[in-house]
Amino acid sequence: MRNNYTIDELMTVLLAREVKNDDIMIVGVSTPLVWAAFTLAKVTHAPDAIYHYIMGNTFVYEARQVSLLYLEMNLHRGYKFQSSSECTLESLPSDTLTTIEFFRPAQIDEYGNTNNVVIGDWKKPKVRLPGCAGIADFSMLYSRGQFFYCPRHDKRTFVSSDKMDFISGVGFKNGVKNVGGGSGPQCMITNLAYLTFDEETKRMKIGTIHPEVDLEEVQENTEFDLIIPENLETTKPPTELELKLLREKVDPLNIRKLEVLRGSEKENLLNQIISEELKKENKFPELLTPEP
Amino acid sequence: MDFVLRTSKLISLEEAISKYVRNGDLIGLGGLSFWRKPMSACREIIKQKKKDLTILTFVGGLDVDMLVAAGCASKIRSSFVSIEIFGMAKNYREAVEKGTIEVVEESEASTALGLKASYLKVPFMPLKGIIGTDFTKIRSDIKKFKDPLGSETELMAVPKIDLDVALVHVNYCDEYGNANIQGAVWLDDDLAKTAKNTIIITEKLVETEDIVHLSRNAQIPDQSVQGVVRVPFGAHPTSCFPFYTFDPIHIQKYMDMDFKKYQEKYITNKSHADYLEEAGGAKSILEILL
Repeated sequence: MRNNYTIDELMTVLLAREVKNDDIMIVGVSTPLVWAAFTLAKVTHAPDAIYHYIMGNTFVYEARQVSLLYLEMNLHRGYKFQSSSECTLESLPSDTLTTIEFFRPAQIDEYGNTNNVVIGDWKKPKVRLPGCAGIADFSMLYSRGQFFYCPRHDKRTFVSSDKMDFISGVGFKNGVKNVGGGSGPQCMITNLAYLTFDEETKRMKIGTIHPEVDLEEVQENTEFDLIIPENLETTKPPTELELKLLREKVDPLNIRKLEVLRGSEKENLLNQIISEELKKENKFPELLTPEP
Repeated sequence: MDFVLRTSKLISLEEAISKYVRNGDLIGLGGLSFWRKPMSACREIIKQKKKDLTILTFVGGLDVDMLVAAGCASKIRSSFVSIEIFGMAKNYREAVEKGTIEVVEESEASTALGLKASYLKVPFMPLKGIIGTDFTKIRSDIKKFKDPLGSETELMAVPKIDLDVALVHVNYCDEYGNANIQGAVWLDDDLAKTAKNTIIITEKLVETEDIVHLSRNAQIPDQSVQGVVRVPFGAHPTSCFPFYTFDPIHIQKYMDMDFKKYQEKYITNKSHADYLEEAGGAKSILEILL
């Protein structure tokens, strides 16, 4: 039987399952898939989790539908406003907050070191990437550790540590825990598998493999050797409820999919989302409350 | 003795840019990504053909991309430059890859703490992050040190950032420079408070009494400000919450157009009214922005 879900749906659900009820969920810039996942977690198992919007410097309780054009309306429903410098100095590098943030690296090695800066030599890069934003500052400090996702699991992203062009996020560098004091890399959720990190060697390890994906495919798309567990299990697919809530309540416009698609497919979806949102009479993204 | 009044800092955008922005300056731009960026000031800089500017901004987007494309910026300092969901900042990317502009790699904290150091008049601020990254290979001005008070903690010293000019777009401002931002502030207060010269570009000009009644009052106080310019819709095509959203249609056009053509159509010899007219006029204001 063919899967009754798409890969962006599976990934969103897997990200959502990582959230705990007492988490502070950091919503970064340009990450609608993560935002959808956090919102799904809020309306399923983590009602007390709090959004920390980097775009708004706000702490927000309310879960609202994911929006592209009007997301500022969501993030300004904050019970606390800060400035970026307050965020940088106070709330992000905290030992006491159980912060969860998902990073999407352009390169990641077997120890969970990441690169979001350049492909090639930094001085004359082959590709200049946007930059690492706060990854260099905070990733190694989080008490709950670092969470990663990657919608395109391939050898361009999963590279050996000796081939990393730049380290802008520190994982278990050389197999040891960072001096920052955080728990280090926890998991990497891709379109092929759910990867974790080995307790002892600190190397990337297969957690579960997604339905209809085989082990060879995962290894072939990874430049370094993955640790393979003795009992290889399949990823638990999304439940009917998770799919229903994601499709009907959390992100009916498929904004999260923009992170997965490319080329004309992405362009078409973007146009569709923009025209749907412009048509709306009431621009406030729908408040998501439990159905009576 | 004569009857005297406080000095108004109201000034035209043209005069503000020509008086305060000099070739080679270090310019701090407010806003983040495509939200509340001082775009009208960027367009004026391009019109006046300023050169060799170093642009510092927390998260850059169209602002950085345009100033690079127009040849006004020769150095970029930012933790992230992208047009996000719309794609890469193509002109910025191309210029870095060709080596025609310089990059000073920043993280969020190196920018935030650099400004904080400037505000506190100290040469550096200590940071727990960055240790173990390759930043130290390309930033000889960021150095590791051990806590001098004896805790053995390893720290990074990130240097102060002394801006020549800060350009910040806000919702409300009085003629003396008390500025109120309705949405997120990001680093705009620190940019304004540390720059030698700060220009506030405001959607609405109000009296000081009105600022007092607005939520969160003046995040930027008048003693930090040298010039106040009124430019409604001046952040377009970026947003100015809660007055208007960003203009996705215009951003898509920008992404598809060669910059020379874009400049010709929207910037060169265009007044702000001409610009808004070219960008769709009342129709796009009513149907997209509001």
